[in-house]
Amino acid sequence: MWREKLQIHKSNWIAALHPSCKFLVVCLYSFCALLLASFKVGEGEYSLYTIAWFVIVPALAIGSGIIKRFWNAFTKVLLVAVVIIVVQSLLIPGGDTVAQLWILKVREEGLRSAIYLGFSVMNIAGIFVWFFQTTENKEISCALEDSGTNYKVTYVFISTLQMIEILGQNSKTIMNAQQARGVETQGNIVVRTRAFFASLVPLILGAITGTEERVLTLESKGFDVNCKKSRLFQIEKTGREKMVNTIAIAITVAIVGWRVALWIL
Amino acid sequence: MEKKYSIKKDFSMIAILIIPIAVAVNFVGGQLASLLKLPMYLDTIGTIFAAMLCGPWVGATAGVLTNVVTGIANPVNFAFIPVNLLVGLVTGYLARGNMFSVWWKWILSMFIMAIVSIASAAPIVVLVYGGVTGGGTSLITATAMAAGVNIWAAVIGTEGIFTVLDRIISFVISWLVIRVIPDRTLVKFGCGNLYIKKKKQEAPAEVK
Repeated sequence: MWREKLQIHKSNWIAALHPSCKFLVVCLYSFCALLLASFKVGEGEYSLYTIAWFVIVPALAIGSGIIKRFWNAFTKVLLVAVVIIVVQSLLIPGGDTVAQLWILKVREEGLRSAIYLGFSVMNIAGIFVWFFQTTENKEISCALEDSGTNYKVTYVFISTLQMIEILGQNSKTIMNAQQARGVETQGNIVVRTRAFFASLVPLILGAITGTEERVLTLESKGFDVNCKKSRLFQIEKTGREKMVNTIAIAITVAIVGWRVALWIL
Repeated sequence: MEKKYSIKKDFSMIAILIIPIAVAVNFVGGQLASLLKLPMYLDTIGTIFAAMLCGPWVGATAGVLTNVVTGIANPVNFAFIPVNLLVGLVTGYLARGNMFSVWWKWILSMFIMAIVSIASAAPIVVLVYGGVTGGGTSLITATAMAAGVNIWAAVIGTEGIFTVLDRIISFVISWLVIRVIPDRTLVKFGCGNLYIKKKKQEAPAEVK
């Protein structure tokens, strides 16, 4: 059951950082990851720094005390990254052969693009996984509202997350009911497509008929009134936001400086 | 009389409530499709539906929000935000242009929708993910690439067939739902009047 959480207290100070501060870290980290990926290192000209840069993501996850949840969410990203790396290194021809296994050859150019794409995806998607695993959706919407976003936007965001859960349950109910009436859900593709129609059309219709009532409810509660809304939920600051922001900006400036220096020299 | 549209008017109270439903329908549709082992994503039904009823900007918002929400679980989806944005915009403008009134216009619209999706998705798949995303069609793409087919041709070829099928099913579902929504509800939606007129034109023919 969905229960309203009034306040969130976190014991870990990294996880408890203000969402806007964490978001700045995410943006700067992604930017640095792309910048580092453009560094070509050594004879093979592989972007090796981007691999080293990736150490930061697990380190942050461990530091925030969420390594287990992080790993569960990150496996999806990892799958995509591994597929990218394998396909790129095996399928792109060009350059000398780096390694050979039976008829599978890994060429230089393939490996170069495999590292570049695979680790860029892992870096950027990884830091986002960290962000969303340490930040509750409520905190995000609260921080958005504090930064001047219209309350209607944050309402839509929060209500979407609830609606997914509600419609997910409804769809199971409808599927069961349709199966009970004799709609086949197994068989060839035409049969399965028909089952898809039979479950989705009632689901959408039910949701649409419910909206009229929800409009009335929201209007009676003064959703459209133009005034300052009071809120039960508040986000706390840990007091270390400034320090983290400064460190993040300093690292970014250093990397940009390094890149520019390499271009000029 | 020509109806005037403005972005601000598009986001009426009911449109704001349709967006969460559209996103949830996208989400559930995608889950159902994989549950029933259909070879398509079918995760734009809500976007198409919202765009047909409430216009392009509501559709686009629903599309973007879908990828933001699914991106929370798997950030790989963030890269595909532009694709869903365009699906919403194009469908919405087609709806306003009354392109969903006659059957030959349907077919034309579906092809336009499919072409826009492929044209926007292919560069992302090739440039960001190097041709494969780990989805169901990746295996076919990878096989074609291994056989020496150009990466662009491989991606557009495999994604193309499934995207067209995807759009046909998504559109038909949205259309079926809109047809059974009562007029008194339809009229509250930005583009709802487009679907009411058609029903009225049909009605006298039956009386005769």
